[in-house]
Amino acid sequence: MDTTQLLKGVLDLACLAALRDEDGYGYDILRRLRTAGLAEVGDASVYGTLRRLFNAGLLTTYVVPSDEGPHRKYYALNPAGRAELQRSGKVWHGFASTMDDLLRERETA
Amino acid sequence: MITTAQDEINLYVFAVRAALGDLPESLRDELLEDLPEHLAEVAADGEGSLTDRLGSPEAYAADLRMSAGFVGGFPDPPGRTDQFKEMRDVAVARLRVADVRLGPLFGAERASDFLVQLRPAWWVLRGYLAAMVLAWMLDDSGQPIGLLPRIGGSEAVALLLLAAGILGSIWLGRRSVRLSHWPQLALYAGSVVLVLVALGGFLSADSSSRGAPYADVNYDNSNPYGNIEDLFVYDEQGRLVQNARIFDQNGAPLRLGNAYCYDESGNYTEVQTLTYPYCAERDPFRAPTATASAAAGEASGAPGANGPGPVPPMEDGSGVSPSVRPSPSPSATSPSVSPSAR
Repeated sequence: MDTTQLLKGVLDLACLAALRDEDGYGYDILRRLRTAGLAEVGDASVYGTLRRLFNAGLLTTYVVPSDEGPHRKYYALNPAGRAELQRSGKVWHGFASTMDDLLRERETA
Repeated sequence: MITTAQDEINLYVFAVRAALGDLPESLRDELLEDLPEHLAEVAADGEGSLTDRLGSPEAYAADLRMSAGFVGGFPDPPGRTDQFKEMRDVAVARLRVADVRLGPLFGAERASDFLVQLRPAWWVLRGYLAAMVLAWMLDDSGQPIGLLPRIGGSEAVALLLLAAGILGSIWLGRRSVRLSHWPQLALYAGSVVLVLVALGGFLSADSSSRGAPYADVNYDNSNPYGNIEDLFVYDEQGRLVQNARIFDQNGAPLRLGNAYCYDESGNYTEVQTLTYPYCAERDPFRAPTATASAAAGEASGAPGANGPGPVPPMEDGSGVSPSVRPSPSPSATSPSVSPSAR
């Protein structure tokens, strides 16, 4: 089974979750996702997802100048984003447990 | 080192942008606005080229398109127009670079700045061209218009039309910036037509000024002098003038006839000097032989045998052509013709 296919469906949720505790810039968020175990997550996918979540009004951004490198655009959850994280999280839990049950049934059957 | 890394990033971003060519430009700009900074973070953190670590720009663009929610192109891939737009964008970008590069040549920041300064000159030229085209369309006198917009050969009309055309063009030029889309397009189209007409007019004026001295004198059937092979000039006494030179009112030498001779035995000789007659032997009023000529001169009863006779009055309808009409004038008895052999 291809993890990248699965990722496509949950990348929004993954990005929102990565921002739950701490704001972050694009590459930072990518590292968090990879550190958490989503090794296959693509750079472009994260970049694109963050742009889309921002356009959907779930994230706010602010720019932090950097002395050594280029300035960094930080993303932060806004209230709408937190609400969406909660709602999507529930959907995911329901979905995941359904899949778990399904798989368990098949395995035991 | 920094510049090469930056170059790599710029190239990568450019390739991604190209792969997203079917997206509307504003959307593309917005989508890619943070990409250079983002890729700089990627490049700063780890080894290897961007392509090694992120895959090809095309694959990156495909991921981006998918995750950003523009699956399968947006709104609909209109293919050809966007390809055309892409080519136009590239052409415009190259023109801008050339514009800046050529700037110092004109002592300006950009070459187009210099062209903008030339704009009023173009307005004046356009006014002149418009007046010429107008005159050409309105003039039905059949006379050649020349280089001024004459109607019916009138200089006054030409100057009036010229002034109106130039003033009108300047007025239009100062207003054209504020014109809306279609009138402006019509103005451009009109200008293109004028430029084409001007090129045609310039070419014909150029060729006619180059060919003027020899303009079809011999081959034009409507030219009354088309059949002239040689020219014989006689003085008031009816004597043949040797080595005559003829000029027009501007002092330009006139060239008529064929600058070569055949003698009695049919030998061909080229005439080297532009003096008339070329072939004195062909004197139409010469007596058949020198001795006969002398005899005829003494006889004086055969007018026309020696020389063309007296100067005819202009109004008798025979024009200035040498006349052989009988006349009692003493000039008929010109003492000698003495055709000299060349």
